[in-house]
Amino acid sequence: MANLSLRQVSKRFGHVEVLRDLSLEIPAGEFAVFLGPSGCGKSTLLRIVAGLEAPTSGEVHLGAERIDTMSPGDRGVAMVFQHYALYPHMTVRQNMAFGLQNIGTPPEEITRKISEAAAMLEIAHLLDRKPGQLSGGQRQRVAIGRAIVKQPKAFLFDEPLSNLDAALRSRTRIELARLHQRMQTTMIFVTHDQVEAMTMATRIVVMNQGRIEQVGTPMEVYQQPDTRFVAGFVGTPAMNFLPVARVEERAGRAVACLPDGTEIATTVPVGHLPSGDLTLGIRAEHIVPGDGAEARVVVIERLGERTLIYADLRDGSTVVYDEPGDVRLDIGQPVRLAFDGAAVHLFGPDGMTLRG
Amino acid sequence: MESWHRGRSLGDRLLLLAVMLLAIAWIAPIVWVVGLSFKPNEVLMRSTGGIIFPPFTLKNYTDILAASSVFGWMANSAIVAVGQTVLTLVIASLAGYGFARTDFPGRRVLFVLLLAALAVPEQAVIVPLHTMFAQAGLHNTYIALIAPRLAFPFGVLLMTQYFRAIPAEIEEAALLDRASRLKVFWRIVLPLSIPAQATLGIYTFLHAWNDYFWPLVSATKPEMYTLTVGLASMQTNFAQTEGIGFLMAQAVFAGLPVLILYLFFQRHIVSAVAGGGAR
Amino acid sequence: MADPKGAPSRGSTGAAIGEKHAANLLFVLPYLLVLLVLLLIPLGLGIWLSFQDYDMLGGWNGGVGLDNFRNLLDDSIFPGAVRNTVVFVLITTPAFVGLGLFLALALNDSLRRSAVLRTVFFGSSVLSVTIVTLIWRLVYLPDRGLAADILGLVGLHGFDPVTSETWALPAIAVVTVWWIIGLPMTLFLAALQQIPAELYEAAALDHASRLTTLRNITLPSIRRTIAVVAVIEIVLQFQLFGQALLITGGGPNNHSRPIVQFIYEAGFRDLQLGFAAAASQVLFALMLLAALGQMWLSRRGEN
Repeated sequence: MANLSLRQVSKRFGHVEVLRDLSLEIPAGEFAVFLGPSGCGKSTLLRIVAGLEAPTSGEVHLGAERIDTMSPGDRGVAMVFQHYALYPHMTVRQNMAFGLQNIGTPPEEITRKISEAAAMLEIAHLLDRKPGQLSGGQRQRVAIGRAIVKQPKAFLFDEPLSNLDAALRSRTRIELARLHQRMQTTMIFVTHDQVEAMTMATRIVVMNQGRIEQVGTPMEVYQQPDTRFVAGFVGTPAMNFLPVARVEERAGRAVACLPDGTEIATTVPVGHLPSGDLTLGIRAEHIVPGDGAEARVVVIERLGERTLIYADLRDGSTVVYDEPGDVRLDIGQPVRLAFDGAAVHLFGPDGMTLRG
Repeated sequence: MESWHRGRSLGDRLLLLAVMLLAIAWIAPIVWVVGLSFKPNEVLMRSTGGIIFPPFTLKNYTDILAASSVFGWMANSAIVAVGQTVLTLVIASLAGYGFARTDFPGRRVLFVLLLAALAVPEQAVIVPLHTMFAQAGLHNTYIALIAPRLAFPFGVLLMTQYFRAIPAEIEEAALLDRASRLKVFWRIVLPLSIPAQATLGIYTFLHAWNDYFWPLVSATKPEMYTLTVGLASMQTNFAQTEGIGFLMAQAVFAGLPVLILYLFFQRHIVSAVAGGGAR
Repeated sequence: MADPKGAPSRGSTGAAIGEKHAANLLFVLPYLLVLLVLLLIPLGLGIWLSFQDYDMLGGWNGGVGLDNFRNLLDDSIFPGAVRNTVVFVLITTPAFVGLGLFLALALNDSLRRSAVLRTVFFGSSVLSVTIVTLIWRLVYLPDRGLAADILGLVGLHGFDPVTSETWALPAIAVVTVWWIIGLPMTLFLAALQQIPAELYEAAALDHASRLTTLRNITLPSIRRTIAVVAVIEIVLQFQLFGQALLITGGGPNNHSRPIVQFIYEAGFRDLQLGFAAAASQVLFALMLLAALGQMWLSRRGEN
């Protein structure tokens, strides 16, 4: 169990810069999720930590050791690959034993460690089967088991849930969260799925185009996004973004005026507001029917426990808001929507959240 | 595939007929020759008609078993073919892995060289090769018969392609499992490449077994003749020969091993030859 | 095992894994040695030889520049051999492509009988050249051979291709096509199976007839394979040797003598190594030219 330290890590493939001067500290024992869209560099970063890629510049430290100059096997990390990468011609037992055999672990100890891991993951009955005879979920547990027996300082997961169907995915999320609680080892998890990030992480690292946008707990990232990108990437449904036509002042706070005339009183201090176009962001749960903007319902999505309603404002912008349970609304029906000014975010033209 | 498109139209029936006729034309020579091998030589001196009528005899085959050098030739061919196959598999697997998965100075250049070497036909090197072996006094040895084909790039290219197709993740997992490069090759990659080994092995074996030009000029002493050379040496005074039945029996005998191999390993052989031709 | 940092490695794209290491050369070293000694050096030696007067009997008599090549041009046999070989390639290549394609189209399904037929047509190619020639010399026997028997049934007698100046080469061509039709057939079969079934389904929904489908969907889809097969056959048939040597001996009157037989006789019978080496270079050059020519032709056809 060790903390991970990335210092000014950059990675270039030919002319393409995939990671730009990344620095990050992950304390020991955290379940850190690298979250971002495809191509943001999260997988590359993981592979650099694992030693499967070398950084173009920068350093990686695990605990007290500098690891970016070490071979993958010597770093004390274990990795669970997206497609599991189990050795197809070996049994589950041999798959799990391989790593330990390579460092000369005595056979009794190998057997003991495999039994422990197999018991933890409930795969003891599969030990003599080959990967080809296992289901996707079982293979994944074997891949995790292979990592556990090595007792690494850090676990690395490369989008391991993407190949599972939805039901299995939620079950496995819970198992991984439990695993982390039990083992208390540092875990680094890469995904593009923000639900996975929100549910499993103790710390989320949001990445975009080779840079870190924000590091924080799930709730921090959700409630206090640092940038418009983070605000729009995290949360389902995505945050509503509306252009701000002009800003007025009331009691030292900014009042955002939307193109259709609606005025929303925010809690953002009006001093130091940049010139240029501002964007207003508000989540679905902070829009409620009430005295406010005029809108017309265009799409209704009934999810069971709540309903998402998409409505067009007078100026044509579409917003989504939600109501618990079912609603009695029809397409085309006019509604009036109130915006909770205290929960509103304002973003400057550079995408940064304005906090005054 | 067009099978579902196929109906019972007239066109289809004619097509089938044409193909069947061709197939008959294809088998005819072999069937005919096999039939001849069961007829006494004296009868054949006069005429080869009446194949399906008696007399029949097994004498041609017993003659082979008694005195023919066919066995010696077969033994030579077997030694050469097995030797070449084993060595090719070892060398090509190592080199294929090197090109596919490791990086070293000059990798790109050497690979291009490999591709260029594909274009070199046997005849461009056979004369100088012969001279080189003559200077080294190595003719009429198994070494001389086995060695030259080891240089053909086909095997290396086949293995390179196959190793590239193995998901890199599996090898990365092995590296993270603290396996050395060599151990990754030996315990992980090599076992996974058995299909390619089978294809390359069968291809090499077949070509070694059927090789003619080089054994012709290198194995000049009768005791070193391979099957192809030995059989060709019997074909001299053909029209006047008295032993047509005997000759045919020898041809059948020589062809039997390969045909049996073919029937058992047809899938492998077809894919190997197709892969070889496609280069 | 600390690897030096700095040299970039490529990862999950399927290319190299890990650092660039001179030690990794060990994997390819055995093959490279073999390649050098048994292919590259002989190749160079052959080129050098072609400019020498090197006789196994008389020894090395020094460089003679282009004399060997000039002598090839003036030789009584060589130009004919070149002509024979070129004619042979021109006869057989269309036959291989055409017949191979025909068989592949006819047998491209999962019926049992098609599998049996494919086995038949491919089977002949596993036999060695000596067995094949043994069979066909007998088939071609003037009064006792299978060919004579069959032709006799339709009233044609006295057919002896081996001693006929016009028919010797075509007779060898027939043998060759019989021998190796399996290769082009298999290559075409593989290409046909790459055509996605959806194309045919769409055509069916468009009421396309068999012939239209063939012309507008099947053939265009395998155009590249047709070109590849043509090049392969050209390269292979330029190397004609065993069939000619053993069936007709190159005769009658050198009318079926191919270049490789010339090389064989010059180099290993007459022991004129320089001369033979020069002939080898000419063959190599012709093969390259023909292959490139075919590729250029195919590319033009595509545009």
